[in-house]
Formats: sequence, structure tokens, C-alpha cells
Amino acid sequence: MQYRLFPILSILAIAGLVIGSYGMFDRLVNGLYPVAFGSYVPWGLWVAFYLFFLGLSAGAFLVTILTYLLNIKAFKSIGPLSAFMVLVCLLCEVLFILLDLGTMHRAFYQFFLTPSFSSLLTWMFVLFNLMGIIYTLKTYFLVRGEIIQGAAHQKGLLKTIYRILSFGRSHYDEAMRSADDHRVHRLAWLSLPVGLLFYATNGAFFAILINRPIWNSAVTPLLFVVAALLSGGALVAFLTYLYVDNGQGLRDTLLKYLGRSILFLLCLFLVLQAIQFFVGYQTGRTDIVTALNHITVGPHAWIFWVVHLGIGSIIPLLLLTFAQKSAKAVAAACFLIFVTFVAVRYNFIIPDLAVYKLEGLEFVFRHARLSTDYVPNLNEWLVAVWIISLGLLAFLLGTRYLPIVNAKLGGMDHAS
Amino acid sequence: MSRFLPVEDGLVRMQRELKRALDGDPQKIKWGMVIDLAKCTGCHACTVACVAENKLPPGVVYRPVLEIEMGTYPAVRRNFIPRPCLQCQNPPCTKVCPVTATYKNEAGVVVVDYNRCIGCRYCLVACPYSARTSDFGEWYTRGTTEGQGVVQGQKTAAAGYEVDPSAEYGKKWPPRGKGSPIGNARKCHFCLHRLAVGMLPACVTTCIGRATIFGNRNDPESLIFQMIGSARAFQLKAELGTQPAVYYLA
Repeated sequence: MQYRLFPILSILAIAGLVIGSYGMFDRLVNGLYPVAFGSYVPWGLWVAFYLFFLGLSAGAFLVTILTYLLNIKAFKSIGPLSAFMVLVCLLCEVLFILLDLGTMHRAFYQFFLTPSFSSLLTWMFVLFNLMGIIYTLKTYFLVRGEIIQGAAHQKGLLKTIYRILSFGRSHYDEAMRSADDHRVHRLAWLSLPVGLLFYATNGAFFAILINRPIWNSAVTPLLFVVAALLSGGALVAFLTYLYVDNGQGLRDTLLKYLGRSILFLLCLFLVLQAIQFFVGYQTGRTDIVTALNHITVGPHAWIFWVVHLGIGSIIPLLLLTFAQKSAKAVAAACFLIFVTFVAVRYNFIIPDLAVYKLEGLEFVFRHARLSTDYVPNLNEWLVAVWIISLGLLAFLLGTRYLPIVNAKLGGMDHAS
Repeated sequence: MSRFLPVEDGLVRMQRELKRALDGDPQKIKWGMVIDLAKCTGCHACTVACVAENKLPPGVVYRPVLEIEMGTYPAVRRNFIPRPCLQCQNPPCTKVCPVTATYKNEAGVVVVDYNRCIGCRYCLVACPYSARTSDFGEWYTRGTTEGQGVVQGQKTAAAGYEVDPSAEYGKKWPPRGKGSPIGNARKCHFCLHRLAVGMLPACVTTCIGRATIFGNRNDPESLIFQMIGSARAFQLKAELGTQPAVYYLA
């Protein structure tokens, strides 16, 4: 990444942390009292952001699979960056979900004391932790050599950090690199079923719920996987543009491949979404039509038409189709896709919940918590800003001070 | 006076049947409820009684009465449908709980263990009847003026009432504001704490039209057993296969 962006983005991240800390303080002191969601729309902005980061991690996950399992050399330059990206996204995901819990502290022990394996949430917890462990180890083994070698050259705090991460080692040779590459390869094998199960479970988490107008469909898990790969792939492509050096046209070649893949995924996603809408409207069922109408003609329809379809789909579609040879155009298209994808997640979560399950429920026992009118409030946005800023800062510091971008590229070349 | 009454009052009979159930084998008890829609006047006494009995905070409701208007003027009518937790025998809410905090007990009542619930609200989303609400820590007295009198104002009677915990599940809960059930999922539990001491649920005793019938579904001599067998009996959203233990009479 060009150095001039680092201080600007760092200042932005720190400012976000400072501004968001007010919301965090309010949330930690007053529990869920400050939030706008209630009992009929029990999940709000934070769950939408959780899904957003889930999608981003999926794209990075895909690149690590392509690099360290399928050994596709074109992606090796962004392999460690992708592995680190998965970790940062997992950090943001867990923070969004933890803060969304009514009694957050119990999540730290209750899953171990009384787990229920009939719940997909338990499986998400298991798979999430496995992903965290796998990707922490994978990232570490990818950069361990540079850390051990770098410990001698670094100064001050960074030297201490490098020494701690070296675990007392000061020597790193080819045999150790080869062993580490083997470890990374084995971890990549392990991450394939774990990752696929993790992303599919997130889709199934919603799909299994009976009587949910939009979610309760066999297409939901598939839509989830495609959406995750699309948004995550777009993020990886954008980071490739920022971080990968274009020596011998490597970056442009990578972007060409990624651009084509993302164009395919975008088309597939739009087709699946169109099928979902077509089938939904054709059923004529009141709850389904009402939920879909919330998206297409409701008070927040601009999120669908302008943000998702206009900025996040049609413009990128045109750029990826007619300017796919331009690295800048591909990067711009991918930026638009992943940034606007939070609109897709929002439209997945809220409209389904914003349908009364029983006729007449809206007219009795009126209270703000017993309404389907939901608009995220300032507290929710501030907490979201805090978490995103933390993720951004972690990413910036990691890529700047750890050998994430300049690491030897791993893979099985050394091992063989 | 009894010679003017054609039959024994339903409440008296249900009370007697409750005692019989409690004196018998606890393994044979399966609590159930029947709500006669033709008798419901829409007075909301059950809703209010439930709020008072369980000391429900603002935004938490166990038994709202749905009001449905049908037809167009002048041919209009209004129906009332009380909706407690339907105590499904195949409950979608318990399966999704990641920490076994909600489950169906031996008597067929779906309960919540407040000391286990992590507040993920997955059960709220899974319930097809919106019968669960989350306690967001609301207070009736928050934002009210400070009164100087003896019975008014936050620091006197009102706040004192709110801080005093409910007797739900027959447990001694900490004063409100000090942990659970704030942050938890909450729901109707057929007033298990009242049943344990031989009292009918609050919504049953306050029903002025005697529209709510309660008892042991396994007792063939009971009023509820007879009512469930009525040709008028139906279950809400029966097609979902949730098998509610709450029946309605059309």
C-alpha cells in the first residue's frame, strides 16, 4: 500500500475509535437498553454487519484455499494478506455478535457448560473458534520466518513484539521454512471443510427457521455462500490493487483473474436473487409478499434500488464487463461491491423480521420494543463505527509492522 | 344461590381439578389451556393480570389479546384472540437455543432458565407466534418526574415496586436491575410458581368471561380434556407441526 494512505487511514481509524467509544460506553454500562431493536425485530444493524464481515472473510478464505491448497501461484503474493484478513474479519464478527447478546458474559462459559448441539448457533460457535485457531496458526507459520529474522533488525517496541512472537528462536533456515510450509498446507486442508461448513452453517442458521417469509428457503444457504464469496472476493481484489506491487504486471494479471471471477459471482448472485424475488412474489403469500415489498417499495427501498442495485451491482457490472482490462476500473468495481454489500445484508435481516407473524399483533400492547418499525439509532451506529475502526486499525498495524505483505509467499514450493 | 346456577362455575371446577392433579402422580401431568374465543370480551384483564403477576417491565408481554376487525361498515365485527405462549409440544424455540437455556419441562411447559440464557434472541426469531419477548432493561419510572409525596415519584412507591423481583419459576430473583432476567428472553410459563402452590394461572382467574380453561390434559375427567375434544377446537398454525398445548374454540 502506498505509504501516504497509511497515516490517513490510521487517523480515520483512531477517530472512529474515539467517536465510537461513546456508543461502546453506553452499551457496556446500560446493556441493550440504548439500542433501537426490540422483540419483534430482535436483530438489527449489528447482525447485518456481522454478516457483512462474514462475507468479507469468505473471500479471503477462498484465496487462501486457492493459494495453499490448490497451489495456484498467481495468488501467492496475497496469500499471507488474505490469511490475516480472515483473522481481522473474524475479530469484527465476534465483537458484533458479542455486543448483540443480552447477557454477553455468559457466552464465555455457557457454551462449554450446557451446549445444545441441536442448535446451529452452537455449531457456529464451534466452527468460528476452529476458524480462529486455524487462521491464527496459518498466519503465524506464514510469517514466522520473517519474524524470527526480523527480530534482529527491529528496534524498540517492535523488537520486543518480534522477540515474543519468535518464542525464543533466533535462527530460521530452509528446513524450518519447509516444515512451516508443510504445516500451512495441512492447515489449508483442514480449513477447507471447516470453512465451507462455517459459511454454509451461517446460511442454514436462517434457512431452518419455519414460518420466516424470506429466510425459510433451500436457496438461502446457497445464496449465502455466493454472497460471501462475492463480497469477500471483491475485497481481496481491492486489497490486491492496493498492496501488490505491479512488477512484471503481476498485480494486473491477478486483477484480471479476480475481476472475471467476481463478474461471474455477481451475475450468479443477481440471478439467484431474481429467482428468490420471482418465486416469492408468485406464491402470493401475504407474509412473503409483505417482506419483499419492504425491500422493493417500502420506506427504505432506496437501499435496494440505489445502494445495492445501482451503486453495488449495475455500475460494477458495467465496469467489469467493459473495462475489465483496466486494473483501476476492476478495483473501483470491487470497492463498490464490497462497500455496498452491507445493504444486501441489511435487506436480508430486517425485512424478514419486519413482518408481523400474527394478524392483529400490531394493534395491541403498543411499545417501541413491540413494533416492526426499526431504524438503527445513534448508539448502534457508534458501536458499529468503533468495531469497524478497531478492525481497520488492526489491519493497518498488522500489514505495516508485521511481515504480512512482504512475507516469503509460503505454499508447497519449499516443501517439495 | 347455587340453585339458580345451572352448573358449577368453571373456575371452581378447575381449582378442584388442579388440586386433584397436584395430589396425583406428577408424571401424569401435562398442563394445557383452552381459550373460548366466543366468550372472550376483549377486556384485556388477562394481559394486565399477567403483567402484574410476573412484574413485567415495559416492552415485555406474555399474553396480549389480538384484536382483529373483519368486514366493512356496516357489516363489521371484531374478534379477540388472547395469545399466551402456546407451549408447543414440538417447540421450534427450544431446538435453536445454543445453551439449553429453554426447554420443555416434564409437565409439557416450555420454560426459560434465566441463569443460562445468553440473550441471543434466536428463540424469539424462531417462535412462529411471537410469543417471546426480550427484556431490554426498560423501567416504568425511567424519565418520570421526582415526586415529593409519599406514594408518588421514582424514589418512593413506584421505584420500590419495580425493583421488587417477580416470583417467576418459584425462585428468588435479585432485585430488578441486578442481572437476570434483564437481557434474557422471557415468555409465558403458565404461572408455574402459582401452580406449585395450588393456584390457577393469573390469566385464568381474572378472565371475566370464563373464556380461559386450564388443567391437566391427561385427566379424562377434566374440563380441559372435554374442551379439547370439542368439534370447535383448533390450534394456531397447526400446519407448522408445532403441536401447541393451547387450543382455541372457534
